Amino acid sequence: MARTSSDLSAAQPNLTPLLDMVFQLITFFMLVINFKDAALDQSLELPVLGSARPLDTKGQEDLLILNIDAKGVLHVYGTPRDPGPYIADEARQEEARLKSKGTPLKPGEELPTMVVIRADKATPFKLLNEVIKTCQNHNYRKFALKAMNRREGS
Amino acid sequence: MRRRLSRSKAEVELNLASMLDMAFQLLAFFILTFRPSPIEGQLSLHLPPAVPATNVQAERPDVAEAAEASGTTAKTLEVSVFADAEGDVSSVQVELRVAFQGPADQANLHKLDQKLHEAFAIEGSPFEQIVIRVAPDLRYEELMKVIDVCTRQKTADGQQLRKISFVEMSGTDRAK
Repeated sequence: MARTSSDLSAAQPNLTPLLDMVFQLITFFMLVINFKDAALDQSLELPVLGSARPLDTKGQEDLLILNIDAKGVLHVYGTPRDPGPYIADEARQEEARLKSKGTPLKPGEELPTMVVIRADKATPFKLLNEVIKTCQNHNYRKFALKAMNRREGS
Repeated sequence: MRRRLSRSKAEVELNLASMLDMAFQLLAFFILTFRPSPIEGQLSLHLPPAVPATNVQAERPDVAEAAEASGTTAKTLEVSVFADAEGDVSSVQVELRVAFQGPADQANLHKLDQKLHEAFAIEGSPFEQIVIRVAPDLRYEELMKVIDVCTRQKTADGQQLRKISFVEMSGTDRAK
């Protein structure tokens, strides 16, 4: 009779340590995840340049990331876009944002946004220059040309 | 009194299974979306639109005045980069003088660095920016090698050179 009662009692494992461990893992992944990486087209093969330094804006600057493939096509979050209208639209939005902050852009003044150019190493200059000129026409002056510090896998 | 005691003694048992389910789902999401990207470097530049070179301004006082009014009076050093059929560097000129001919390898880039250093390192150097005239077919990778050498130069006030402009070479420039 006593055996029967012990068989019927439900086994209740202590889940607290397991839950602790899972929460620690979640915390780790939350800290290392970077949603901004979605803006970077990882299919591009960037040039290798030893003196290229990692981007350090200290959170002060806004970035306009332009992925340009070997054929000169601009990709935004994986979608091909026409550079002219896209850059004009971004510049307009930036100007409106500055205006709403009470610091409107004076005529001829440069935009504080940094244009980050991630171009494939095989992109011909004439195609790249079209994008740079479009940015300059919309008062972008700060540029960052992306490159890898060393070849991947080395 | 007896009733209160019996209540406080009753154990509160939270069902952790559902919380654990949710935590595992969150964990699965983060594991699946985690993709460590390689650390990318960059060259930071201030790229104003190309302006007439200094020698043109000196010859044309009206152009010089217009440039001064628009705040674009920086003395400009001109570097021309020519490309071969594959889009690699074939030769580089600094102010119409050949810096090197052949590929942009370590030795040739060192020659270019020396030429630019000679122009910038002299006391009271007038140059404040570089205009790079680039062959249209030059590949981005090759251009970056030249830009890298240019950004290593320092202006007369000891500041790292950041003002660089690009100009696409015309057909007549390439024939020179």
